Amino acid sequence: MIYLDNNATTRVAPEVLDAMQPYLSEFFGNPSSAHALGREMKRVVEHSREQVASLIGASETSEIVFTSCGSESDNWAIRGVLATQPNKKHIVTTQVEHEAVRNVCRLLEQEGYEVTWLGVDGNGELNLDELRSALRPDTALVSIMLANNETGVLFPVEDIGRIVKEKSEAVFHVDGVQAVGKIPIDLKSTAVDLFALSGHKLHAPQGIGGLYIRKDLSLPSFIIGGAQEQGRRAGTSAVPNIVGLGAACQLALDDNHHELIERLRNRLEDEILANIANARLNGAADRSKRLPNTSNISFEYVDGQNILMHLDQEGVCVSTGSACHSTTHESSPTLRAMNVPFTAAQGSIRFSLGRYNTEADIDTTLRVLPAIIEKLAAMSPYDKELAALR
Amino acid sequence: MGSDTTETQRTQRLHREAADHFLNPRNVGDADEPSFAGRAASLVCGAHVRFSIQVDEAQKVSQARFRAAGCHVLVAAASMLTEQVAGLTTAEAATLDVADSSCAALARDALLGAIREYSNAARDDWAGDEALICTCFFVSERTIEREINSLGLTTVTEVTRACNAGGGCGSCHQLIQEILATNDLPR
Repeated sequence: MIYLDNNATTRVAPEVLDAMQPYLSEFFGNPSSAHALGREMKRVVEHSREQVASLIGASETSEIVFTSCGSESDNWAIRGVLATQPNKKHIVTTQVEHEAVRNVCRLLEQEGYEVTWLGVDGNGELNLDELRSALRPDTALVSIMLANNETGVLFPVEDIGRIVKEKSEAVFHVDGVQAVGKIPIDLKSTAVDLFALSGHKLHAPQGIGGLYIRKDLSLPSFIIGGAQEQGRRAGTSAVPNIVGLGAACQLALDDNHHELIERLRNRLEDEILANIANARLNGAADRSKRLPNTSNISFEYVDGQNILMHLDQEGVCVSTGSACHSTTHESSPTLRAMNVPFTAAQGSIRFSLGRYNTEADIDTTLRVLPAIIEKLAAMSPYDKELAALR
Repeated sequence: MGSDTTETQRTQRLHREAADHFLNPRNVGDADEPSFAGRAASLVCGAHVRFSIQVDEAQKVSQARFRAAGCHVLVAAASMLTEQVAGLTTAEAATLDVADSSCAALARDALLGAIREYSNAARDDWAGDEALICTCFFVSERTIEREINSLGLTTVTEVTRACNAGGGCGSCHQLIQEILATNDLPR
């Protein structure tokens, strides 16, 4: 199998599994317990917290709270920020956020909040002047992602943070789920107040996330119960998963494979765009503005779901932005916001690479893909449009 | 075919057949001229399919071809439909039962479009003494009028039930409606 779907989820790294193993067997205690076993669990949870804090450049370890997933972190951040500012009813976010932000903001609109949805240009980039003019005295929250999950386009959160703090008193939340472990992050040098991350995107298991809460900020609890996580998030700590997240962060710090991943991604992208007539890149052509592992390419006038199934037959795993594939039957909101034509959005494929990909994976993908696209193009009812591209 | 002993085996066989049609679609392209074509597209899933047919002197589909930009289910459904309709009369083809899925329905809609194009052309070319209305079931205007007047029919559905007219591709529904209007005499 050739796994090019690392933005969906990643394989648990062997180093991560090794670190977790003892906490799935002999070290089974509850970190809230006072006995020696409990104390060992507490120790390892705090060690993991340090590893997470260090990967994202938190200024203090206590700024990290463990959650169950990235979506919980986003939900908690957004709802929490609004609860602490009951008189402010305005939110600024973008049209290309992950559902964990977008759908919460949609709900908030129904609940009486006013939401400014910042658009993006054809490259998937924000216009910071639009952000400037969107900020108001009653803006409670600005929620903007660091890296887009579909295109890999990066938003300049340092600049955004500066503008938010200059022009308003809003809290700045960043969905960092897709970026953590893929690019260097140093939150203490930014104005980011809240930052969501998810373990399974960086080779930790599924079911563990984290929320960075800047030390001078206090959020009401989202999950109510015991006093775990310094009373901020109830629920017995998922110690094996927390250890896994810590180990994954350590791995990303020590040996991140970024150069290999970027080289493979560049080769894949360059050769597809050069050799397939109806291929076009979605997202900034300037690669410094994208994650090093992601390439979102549209194969115009053919269907992405169909490409995906053909690649699946060859053992190659990818994702698509085709409306057919999505459970909501909408073509990708990110590509729509970028004004990608419908017939291109329908044929979009996201290749997202990871640390276990090899040159051979890319060789195979580049060998099988052109024949698939050719077969589907020959079948397409858009025969005239395709002929014009040749 | 009859060797499936359980429902599960039957389902698995259908899945294998569909998978084969997806990977090796039959009859891709355009029917040889003179041909008749229909298109269907879905705003829900974004798929687009084109069906083209050739019809022989006996009004049977002698060639069926398709093109599709859509998911694997649509391609399999369209491919299977090209095989199913080959050799059928346009009336049989237009009334074929298709699987209960939106993809199969989309392929069928494109086929119906192609049959309607054929029917409209056949109606225009018709050189008989009486005007031909339903080309699928070969029903003339005079027959339809007779049924309307003898049975006191008032809707297209009633006309179809009485003499089959309008029971195929449906391209003549508007014409039947007009005949109903002109024969709407006080009784």
